Amino acid sequence: MAGQPHYREAHPLVFVMTHWVNLICMIMLAFSGFYIHFPFFPGFMGVARGMHFFAMYVIIINLTFRIVAAFTVKTATDLGSREVDTDIKNWLPQEKNKHQFFETVKYYLFLRKEGVISAKYGSLQKMAYLATIPLTYLQAYTGFAIYGPTMKGGFFAAGTTLVGGPMNMRIIHYFIMWVFIVFTMIHAYLANIYNFNPSKIIFAWKETDH
Amino acid sequence: MAQEAHGAIYDLLAVRGVSRRDFLKYCSYIAATLGLSEAAAPQIAAALEKGAKLKPALWLNGGSCTGCTESMAQVDTPDVATIVLELLSFNYFETIMAAAGKQAEDNIAETIKEGNFILVYEGSVMTGQDGNTLIVGNKEDGSPKKGTEILAEAATAAQAVISVGACAVDGGWVAAYPNPAGAMGVQAFLDKEGIATPVVNIPCCPMNPEWVVAMVVQWLLVADDDPAVFLEKTALLTKTYKDGITGADVTLNYPEYVVGSTIHDNCPRRGHFENGEFVSEFGSAEEAMGYCLYKVGCKGPQTFTQCPVTRWNRSVSWCVNSGAPCIGCGGLNWVDNNAPFFKRLSSMQMGGSLGNVQPGSVAAVVGGVAAAALVAHGLGMKAAGRIGDGPPMETAKKYDRKRMAKGGDK
Repeated sequence: MAGQPHYREAHPLVFVMTHWVNLICMIMLAFSGFYIHFPFFPGFMGVARGMHFFAMYVIIINLTFRIVAAFTVKTATDLGSREVDTDIKNWLPQEKNKHQFFETVKYYLFLRKEGVISAKYGSLQKMAYLATIPLTYLQAYTGFAIYGPTMKGGFFAAGTTLVGGPMNMRIIHYFIMWVFIVFTMIHAYLANIYNFNPSKIIFAWKETDH
Repeated sequence: MAQEAHGAIYDLLAVRGVSRRDFLKYCSYIAATLGLSEAAAPQIAAALEKGAKLKPALWLNGGSCTGCTESMAQVDTPDVATIVLELLSFNYFETIMAAAGKQAEDNIAETIKEGNFILVYEGSVMTGQDGNTLIVGNKEDGSPKKGTEILAEAATAAQAVISVGACAVDGGWVAAYPNPAGAMGVQAFLDKEGIATPVVNIPCCPMNPEWVVAMVVQWLLVADDDPAVFLEKTALLTKTYKDGITGADVTLNYPEYVVGSTIHDNCPRRGHFENGEFVSEFGSAEEAMGYCLYKVGCKGPQTFTQCPVTRWNRSVSWCVNSGAPCIGCGGLNWVDNNAPFFKRLSSMQMGGSLGNVQPGSVAAVVGGVAAAALVAHGLGMKAAGRIGDGPPMETAKKYDRKRMAKGGDK
């Protein structure tokens, strides 16, 4: 929330890097994915597919690394604080967020005036971030299920049978991408609605005092 | 080996003007189709010669357009495949048999009574309106005989069923939404009736005659007329789907050589796909250059059949070769899953006033609504004076304030 200093302890350099990798991979995946979905200019299919597979492996490795790092890297768990603790604390239920979920929803729906007390990540924010983890793995799964060399593997073929064929799997893959696009829109909007200081710390690792 | 037996088949071949050399070449071709080495050709020839004893068979048509019969029988010159198929003695074959009326009906009854025959079933099983959507002939007592009854009787007595064409596989286009005829595939119907006769499915609309020939050869060559041996020794792939009428999970047997890879994998235009050379509209210069048909709706990437390898009409051509995108007729529930045929993704059947909607349209609406909502929300945040330093913060959680007002912890 605004009004708080943004210190490097909130986002240590390693998470600034993983965030960059996520962003670049997501852009590459969405762009090449749109191209594979419907090639809107000629001469790029081989590159688009190569880019899609490469970025997918990178983002999966990056995500897995990020999860492991949550147990080893120390970050601030409070807004505007230099006091650090193991990062996983940020992702478990926190005392400061208790009883605040509906208040947060009310705040964003303009049903209350004052800002809501929260930990570094508010309850709504935390849920949205955590939801991207299974969604990313699910997207990789649906991707493998429509990818030539792996689509016949029992693990992937079983999912294809479950959803009623490869065409349906393709449509699901397409819609999950749109979930990511809408997530990114909301994420970029909410992160920067008060000022651009959150972007300065997460992209440039530049501290600001409010 | 092939020289020792100059039996009935060589007479047949000679009559049709096919040399022994042509015949052996064809046997090599069938060997390749079955995934055997060319060394198997003499064995195949021997199997076919032995088969010249004429294996009794019934070719029944259900809810069909006889397109598969056409695919099988469109021959105005003698053709090796035709001769091989004459190894099956079709005691009943609606479209091409000479018999009619009572004599034809008797042929079915006779074959069923004698047993030891193969049933080839073309078309969907029409179960709608209690099976009255398909009636062929009469029973003894003069009452109409339903197609479902004929299939149940014949399949019970048969050694094996070859269900040919997408309709016999899972209902095909006859079973497309809203399926008023209650059409379903042979396997789904036999499951429902509790008939355990093994079924092998040959997909596509129509099916490819070479695939049927290969199955017949497989039956004669390796199965030795025994369904159990046939199932054990034939490379089969299974696919499971939920039947729309019975709601039951149905497991289909396919020959692996038919459905083992996608059309996309073997497509002669695959190079153009990788190069990003696409046809954007029909009648364009790109189309004339034989570019990839992906953008005009080709369903090759998600259709598992061997069409580009076997090809059609005596291996002259096939859909993509002749300039048409694959419409996915080798898949399950293929019409609903692939329509519209000239669009990249199939439409989703939303029902009601929404009708059929393209996934892209849904995505555009979702994305547009989200963007509009964020802009509106941003304006609201500005109007509420929260931009900049943010809103005034609460000093304690509302929950705690309420609790304190009540007197706090006792």
